[in-house]
Amino acid sequence: MTNDLPDDDTPLDPAAMLALLEQQQRKVNNDLIAPVPWILLVWGFAWLLGFLALWSMPGGGNPLFEVPPTIAWLTFVALLIVAIVVSAILGSRIGRGVRGASGFSGAVYGLSWTFGSIAAAGIGAGMVRLGMSSDLAGVLFPALYGLVAGLLYLAGAAIWRSISQLVLGLWLLLVSTVSVFAGLPHNYLVMGLAGGGAFLVYGIVLFIIRARSRQ
Amino acid sequence: MSGELDPVIHAAARLRITATLATLPAGDRMSFPRLQEILEMTPGNLSTHLRKLEDAGYVDVTKTHQGRTPVTYLALTTSGRHAFERYTETLRSVLGATE
Repeated sequence: MTNDLPDDDTPLDPAAMLALLEQQQRKVNNDLIAPVPWILLVWGFAWLLGFLALWSMPGGGNPLFEVPPTIAWLTFVALLIVAIVVSAILGSRIGRGVRGASGFSGAVYGLSWTFGSIAAAGIGAGMVRLGMSSDLAGVLFPALYGLVAGLLYLAGAAIWRSISQLVLGLWLLLVSTVSVFAGLPHNYLVMGLAGGGAFLVYGIVLFIIRARSRQ
Repeated sequence: MSGELDPVIHAAARLRITATLATLPAGDRMSFPRLQEILEMTPGNLSTHLRKLEDAGYVDVTKTHQGRTPVTYLALTTSGRHAFERYTETLRSVLGATE
């Protein structure tokens, strides 16, 4: 194990006791949200690779290579399904072994992702039914999903008083809006690089912070 | 000087237990196995120190069942949370005074 924290009756000198106290609280805070950086990495890769696949369809924006539409869409959907399953499993381990008042916030927050995503897909599907072209749908669906994700990170920032979630939430709102103005097919590149990239950067930053706090 | 520090908390193991439970928002409890995992203590050692904290009225122990398995949940009492805050303040003032 990386730490050899004392667990006996010895009182250390005050400075060592204060250091022990702070080290312990950092460890607890890291342990309770241990799955979070992994969830961010999984979503980061799903957005990055999935949207890049869509951007690389024939007639798309990728000047280097093309991906047949069927394969591009299968890749995109498969990556999303993997990310949903992995984050549901890992997410249920956040705050494991803790129950009580904050359980309600956590449960509502988790369900907000599920219902927010379903609503975004439903609104998009409704627009298609009303006659929206597939080109417009290709712009609207990712942007709607980015909007939901951005707002949920803002909600997370409010619940857990997290500045980093606030930054990510605002960034996702900006990226989603810019993606619409970029239009098809470059909206996919914007969502993949700026959206997926942001998840990856945030996940890596959390890993670095955790590694430092163990030293 | 360390005489002013609450002797119930002023022991490495009990400080770590109290500090861990103090990170939970009021109203939340942590299961014994999870607490043991985070603290990396043996069950026997953890029980011994928890009993001292419970006797001092700092820790509230709730026994419940998950399915048929009994699970013990632990939380700081209001006076336990206050004692921990007082302890931290005293520690900081002791350190401030010696600098």
